[in-house]
Amino acid sequence: MTEPRKRSGCLGCSFPVLIIIVVVFLGIVVIGFLAGGIGQKMFPGVSLPSWLIVPRPEPHLPAPQLFHLFGLPITNSMLAGWLTLVFLVVIGWAVTRRMKLIPGRLQAAFEFLLGWIYDLCKSIAGEENGRRFFPVVCTIFLFVLFNAWLSLIPGFGSIETIKYEGIPPEAQISVVPAEGNQPEHKVVMVDDKEHEIVLINGEEVMEIKEELIRGANTDVNTPLAIAFFSFVFVAFFGLKTLGMGWLKQYFNFGPFFRSIGRTFKGKFNLMDIFSGGIGIFVGGLEFLSMFIRVISFTFRLFGNMTAGEILLLIAAFLVPWVMALPFYGLELLIGFIQALIFSLLTLVFVTMAVTSHSEEAH
Amino acid sequence: MEELPLKLGINLPVLITQVVTFVILLVILRFVAYKPIMRMLDERSKRVKDSMEQAEAVRQQSARAEEEVRKQLEAASREGQERIARAVRAGEEVKQKAEEEARKEADALVKRARTAIQQERDDAISEVRREFADLTVLAAGKVIERSLDKEQHRDIIEKVLEESITHKKD
Repeated sequence: MTEPRKRSGCLGCSFPVLIIIVVVFLGIVVIGFLAGGIGQKMFPGVSLPSWLIVPRPEPHLPAPQLFHLFGLPITNSMLAGWLTLVFLVVIGWAVTRRMKLIPGRLQAAFEFLLGWIYDLCKSIAGEENGRRFFPVVCTIFLFVLFNAWLSLIPGFGSIETIKYEGIPPEAQISVVPAEGNQPEHKVVMVDDKEHEIVLINGEEVMEIKEELIRGANTDVNTPLAIAFFSFVFVAFFGLKTLGMGWLKQYFNFGPFFRSIGRTFKGKFNLMDIFSGGIGIFVGGLEFLSMFIRVISFTFRLFGNMTAGEILLLIAAFLVPWVMALPFYGLELLIGFIQALIFSLLTLVFVTMAVTSHSEEAH
Repeated sequence: MEELPLKLGINLPVLITQVVTFVILLVILRFVAYKPIMRMLDERSKRVKDSMEQAEAVRQQSARAEEEVRKQLEAASREGQERIARAVRAGEEVKQKAEEEARKEADALVKRARTAIQQERDDAISEVRREFADLTVLAAGKVIERSLDKEQHRDIIEKVLEESITHKKD
């Protein structure tokens, strides 16, 4: 037996390569720091080429409308949603085009993901219901997850479209003095957004820069749409399974009026009337909570995703290139968690809706 | 309240579009992904179940076969033992019989030999007698030829006997 030759070096690289990598990495850190917001303020004397300077981010909540298609306003978040749709459909088609009993890598990964969600559905909703709910739950999961993950791809939020529009007469024009590499320029505020004023053909117009694609989850309409769908889904299966019994959970007037009726027949029972009133009140609360769910669904996802996007923007602005990396990892995790929460809560609500309350009580 | 939805950007056409997008995604994925994958998962779990059942059946069968073989081996071994014992017994018998026969034969031989010896002795004796008689007759003739006394008589007999011995010796 001969001893295996010891490999010199560290982390799978030989020492010279490792040293080069470390030097390059440190260089990126230093240049990134100098180019970022913190570095620029700390060392104003250092001047770097303008393409290195990261502009100050201007996050805004409403998704801008890029153009109109058949009278329908197309926002950048809608484009992102369609991109996710196309991505998922293509993946699904590619995987299931040639299904094999002994799966390849892609098929195995896809089957693992779907099988995992299917097992969750079965474990929460039971065998039969789990199978019925699986498509919707899984679609919610995939749509939310890939909306979040695809928005981490470079190009989301950084590719911009530029439009030129006339300045509205009532808009306020202000002059920004020259600073650093930036010459003096005029800006105009429209709808809380700052637009630069440029000269085209001797006419002053405002330059409207808009992101071409933006994570669909960061537009409140997308989470609201999914939440709304989830609400309809729950109500549909509640009505389908329990029929009027489902509505009775929310409009529980029966016991109250029955006890009132008994009062007229001479059997006065205060407790009955009281508990009937409580029933109505509880039903009302349940009814209210159903709509509150929609709101909480919407804002949980919207808030998390928007905050994540702003966090990435700020991190990339303060210390570009390096500092944002850990946050990207965090965003991957958060996207996954939000997708899981959204889909599993829907699953739990629909399971509750198809489970008769009176059945539970007995 | 008027300001809030505007600032968030809630927009009915966009909302409806996103709902429609989601529904389209649901419908397409249902056909493209969920149905085939569920079918595949079901088929695979069915196959696994089947093959496990099959394996169980095979296992049982092989256990049964093993038991069978063991029994057969046992029976064969028992039979072999029996046969060996029987053969040994037969051998013993053959040996005994052979011994007995040998003994009988030997006895017969001895007996026959004895008889022959007896016969021969008898023959010899009778011959001796005959010769003796002859000699006696001869001697008597000689005696008659000569008048002899008792002593001579005896001498003559002895002489004759001696002669006969020497005669016999020749």
